Amino acid sequence: MDNYRFKYFFKKRIQILFGFLIILLFIPLLKIFYLQIIQFDRFIALSKNNSIKIVPIPPKRGVILDRNNVILADNKLVHSLEIDRTFFSDLSEIRARLKKKLNIDIDIDINIKKISYLYENTVPISFSLTDKQIANFVAHQYLFPKLSIKQRFIRDYPQGKSSAHLIGFINRINDKDISFLEKENLTNRYLGSTHIGKSGIEKFYENLIHGSPGFKEIEVDAKQNVIRTLQEKKPIPGRAINLTIDYRLQKIAEKAFKEKKGALVAIDPNNSEVLAYVSQPTFNPALFTNGISHEAWANLNDKNSRTMLDRAVAGLYPPGSTLKPFVALAALTNDIRKPPFSIFDIGYFKMPRSSKVFRDWKRGGHGTVDIIKAIAVSCDTFFYGLGLELGIPNLNKVLDDFNFGKKTEIDIDGEKSGLIADKAWKKKKFNESWYAGETAITAIGQGFTLVTPLQLANATSKLANPSLSIKPHLLLSIDGIKQDKEEVKEKKQSYSDKNLKLIKVGMVNVTKEGGTAAFLGKKSNYQMASKTGTAQLFGLKIDEEYSEDTLPDNLKDHALFITYAPANDPKIVIAVIVENGGHGGSVAGPIAKEVLDAYLKNKKL
Amino acid sequence: MIKVLQKYKKRVDIHLLAVTFFIILLGLITLSGSNLDTSNIIVNQVVNIFVGLVIFTILVFTNPRILFSYAPILFLITIFLLILVHFFGIESNGAKRWLAFGAFNLQPSELMKITLPLMIAWLYQHYQNKITLWLHFAAIILISIPVYLVLLQPDLGTSIMIALSGFLIIFLAGISWRLILSSMIFVILSSPFIWINLHVYQKNRIINMLDPFVDPLGTGYHTIQSMIAIGSGGGFGKGWGKGSQTNLNFLPEANTDFIFAVYSEEFGFFGVVIIFTLFLLLIFRIFILASNMQSTFSKLLTVSLGVSIFSSIFVNIAMISGLLPIVGLPLPFMSYGGTSMVVSLASIGIIMSLNNHKTLIAN
Repeated sequence: MDNYRFKYFFKKRIQILFGFLIILLFIPLLKIFYLQIIQFDRFIALSKNNSIKIVPIPPKRGVILDRNNVILADNKLVHSLEIDRTFFSDLSEIRARLKKKLNIDIDIDINIKKISYLYENTVPISFSLTDKQIANFVAHQYLFPKLSIKQRFIRDYPQGKSSAHLIGFINRINDKDISFLEKENLTNRYLGSTHIGKSGIEKFYENLIHGSPGFKEIEVDAKQNVIRTLQEKKPIPGRAINLTIDYRLQKIAEKAFKEKKGALVAIDPNNSEVLAYVSQPTFNPALFTNGISHEAWANLNDKNSRTMLDRAVAGLYPPGSTLKPFVALAALTNDIRKPPFSIFDIGYFKMPRSSKVFRDWKRGGHGTVDIIKAIAVSCDTFFYGLGLELGIPNLNKVLDDFNFGKKTEIDIDGEKSGLIADKAWKKKKFNESWYAGETAITAIGQGFTLVTPLQLANATSKLANPSLSIKPHLLLSIDGIKQDKEEVKEKKQSYSDKNLKLIKVGMVNVTKEGGTAAFLGKKSNYQMASKTGTAQLFGLKIDEEYSEDTLPDNLKDHALFITYAPANDPKIVIAVIVENGGHGGSVAGPIAKEVLDAYLKNKKL
Repeated sequence: MIKVLQKYKKRVDIHLLAVTFFIILLGLITLSGSNLDTSNIIVNQVVNIFVGLVIFTILVFTNPRILFSYAPILFLITIFLLILVHFFGIESNGAKRWLAFGAFNLQPSELMKITLPLMIAWLYQHYQNKITLWLHFAAIILISIPVYLVLLQPDLGTSIMIALSGFLIIFLAGISWRLILSSMIFVILSSPFIWINLHVYQKNRIINMLDPFVDPLGTGYHTIQSMIAIGSGGGFGKGWGKGSQTNLNFLPEANTDFIFAVYSEEFGFFGVVIIFTLFLLLIFRIFILASNMQSTFSKLLTVSLGVSIFSSIFVNIAMISGLLPIVGLPLPFMSYGGTSMVVSLASIGIIMSLNNHKTLIAN
């Protein structure tokens, strides 16, 4: 090929090439035109989606106060030790170094990834540093560039273990809570929240206490680090609620229980406000706030102490003799055993047309007993016969009136309904027929009947104030505004004043000379109407002696006591149960008396 | 001093130099706009440009006859370096591409973008009176050696670039259309076998190019983020230094391979049209110069170097806009990085040297 030909050749090919390159370059230009001009809206949205995030700000939880504004649950500003989220994987190494250099333990690492600290640049790893530890850390912070101290609010229970069942606790939101919130369509209110009420008031009034989240619009980078805040809407904090509880009484009652297990419920019979709500033993609700350890949880659920059981509404006990005033009222309402009817008690009751014998608690009997004395001395013999003549249907009708065997619908979670047994129930449960003997022992509060301390207090309250038609409740006011309780209109049989008075006299006589708790009345400057109860857990055979010393603790009788005072103008009703406490009057009675004294000391009598 | 400058002015093609500087300037502006730790990057890039300009100047004043006579040796040295890479190369992301010389990392495959065209142009110049089918065949053999070595690294993008620049010379040297057509058919027929021999990651890239949204967080992530950056730029861009895709780190490799996406995000379609115009002017000027040259060697080498720059530009932009799979390939004159800048400026230097000495190696 000669040079001239090559030049011609080359020129042609280079033109072809240049044309080809221009066309080639047009392809990406067209693509970019398509991206930037035609699809601009789509990509600008995608770009904003990338970098702009809407982050919820969780609301501050409302405080829980007693009726006198004593704080029961609050939010505490604490210094938390935090780790830069990008270094989270180094946690175990940092933990070891913290322990070695500063002797600081990291207490939170369980499930920490589950917590939604998303879009926060740091994640808390410890809430429980002491001031000294914080000072020590700050002084050595240069050793730990990935850690920092931050302030956060955590739930605080200033009363410690006191009133834990009433107040309840919060815990991290789990899968179950999430599906509940989804079902109730509440997930929007929990955006950004990490905790939810799990028991007690914290759970029941979760709706009020929780509040609503705020939002902030933030710009984040590809690693989700926050660059800046663009907009913010403040969260609405949860409502502050006052309970009807008088914490002073609560404290006195808890102290009076000492180490004993049991429950106490005090109610104002004029408006059904619950004044005290005690369940012993108790626990520290703060244990749950950031996840409880397995050992601690196992301890709280120990079979003997059953610490987590809220005995006030979920403890089921045979009412024992505390049921007698209600049984007596049922009899009088059905026109039997009206004074001057009396029996002569020789210490036992023989079943008609049977050789079966039921013993009175007192050997040798109480002598001549009418209905007033039967209540005052708790004469079993009197009530065996009464029960048999009255019959289960008539008795249950009255017990039902006093709200036994069904929930009181108090504003707290986990209430049990108790049990009022009858023929149909026994057939269904055991496929057995009802024996007359069971009617007899039902009349003295043994048998199948089970009550909760709250039911007992509520029933006594109705006895003290028969016109009462408000359910027992714990919520007094929201943000300081008093909540009026609706009155419940129910069809009830009317109880004549005369009959009610007879019962009252019987109950007043309990703490008088000869009554089962006479010693309680001696130093009292007010009159109280009471009834003792001793619920047997251990079936004594005929002629077998009951001896407290030889029985194991968990088979000892439950001690019960119900009372209202002053008898002529009731201001407070109390029901006490001491598990395995022995005799009702001497064990449960003093606890109730201490609370009465404290409450009535400042009242005009 | 003035004399030196005048001499310099006489020797360089002022149009080509101006266009090149404009593109380099736009690259620097884009780099300095990002909020990422840029202080070092800007200084380093200025150093890169300076080193490039020194080599550029040396080449401008070098007689192309020297280049011509050393072409086979330079080619052999580069081949040797590529073999060294295979044994002593620095491994990164599963590929061995670099040789370490102290603090400086050399990428021999980039050098090959110059030495292979040099070699092939030398071949056709040397045998310019005996251009036969056998000569074309020899050229193909010479091309396939470095292409194969770079493929081994593996670096599909660069090996295609090198192959293109080599084959282009064969095309310009006058291979018949019949041969071109039949070899194209051969390539199409052999493509299934090429596919089988591709690495898994290379296959993934090709699949992702077809639909990046299939795997938005995996292999499609780069393409998607880059397309979002470009698309969200709109007509006039988000403004200098205000690209959220870049500054918030969504865009990977924003300073190097993906710098064009940053530019498009911040300056919009308006800016894109400007830079396309500059690229086109660059190539146009190089082709004009080539047309005016006398020797076969000069013409072939100039066009080949020009097309080499063009194909880097094209492939880079095509991959960033989602037209081609993501291959690690910088944008000439704009991406942050030493080798690419030096090689690109050296190419321009060689072209100007060839342009100065139009007749020196005339036949």
